[in-house]
Amino acid sequence: MPKVLLVDDADFMRMRSAKLLTENGYEVAEAENGQVAVSKYEALKPDIVLMDITMPVMDGIAAVKEIRQRDPGAKIVMCSALGQQTMVLEALKAGAKDFIVKPFQPDKILATVKKFAG
Amino acid sequence: MSNMEYANPFVLDLAKKGTGRMRVEFINPFVKAAYDVLLAEVKSEIKKGELSIQSSAFTAEEVTVMIGVVGQVQGVVLYGMSERTAKNIVSAMTGQTVPIFDRIVESAIAELGNVITGRASVELEKAGFSCRVTPPMVIVGRGAIISTVSIQRLVIPVEVSSGAIEINVALRESS
Repeated sequence: MPKVLLVDDADFMRMRSAKLLTENGYEVAEAENGQVAVSKYEALKPDIVLMDITMPVMDGIAAVKEIRQRDPGAKIVMCSALGQQTMVLEALKAGAKDFIVKPFQPDKILATVKKFAG
Repeated sequence: MSNMEYANPFVLDLAKKGTGRMRVEFINPFVKAAYDVLLAEVKSEIKKGELSIQSSAFTAEEVTVMIGVVGQVQGVVLYGMSERTAKNIVSAMTGQTVPIFDRIVESAIAELGNVITGRASVELEKAGFSCRVTPPMVIVGRGAIISTVSIQRLVIPVEVSSGAIEINVALRESS
């Protein structure tokens, strides 16, 4: 069963995405900020990470850099309301594979997770 | 109303109200984003009420989401609603009845404001005003006074099937 790490400071978004993914056969772990995500990534080695950008303690871009430094093959997809061109480029430069712009799009999330995690 | 008329009516409204300080380029992105996000999340008919400009302090509603904007445009955006509306919105978002206003409802409403503001910031960037939004804060309880100091507020009343939402946009170009 492919493992997905959901990283978002909004409880509701984690709950919503976790429900969607578990109902579609994925194993889900959650992190509420970038720092927790880095620890959980190392412990769980998920197949894909869905990462928010604006979070307390450590933001999503910094977390992508940290995770990619430890695992250059990490598959991380940004999932954020901040879809400015500069933000997308910054995320891709940090090592993100793709960018999903909120609001919540179940079909887009499932298609993206399937593309990277099978 | 099947579609939101957010460009020309706004220009006319603002001209009628005789304000030279409120820039319409800062407002339309919020109307467009609110329409797009509410349609996607609440899946309801969306009605926009009459716009007004306020210089006085904002009085918090039962639930108020407050999000800061920093960059070439700065200020604050406030989303006010009743607890009942908040619960109804989250019920529509999840497809499940939400009986109480709890941490999850608070998180969902904050995220809704965050997504609308984030989408609006994309449009602002396209218009040449690069900016970022700060994490949302939620104020629960009616009556708190929030001053936007010297920045005027444009009030956008919006109504969806879940209830009424008042969007207050208080932004100005950074010096």
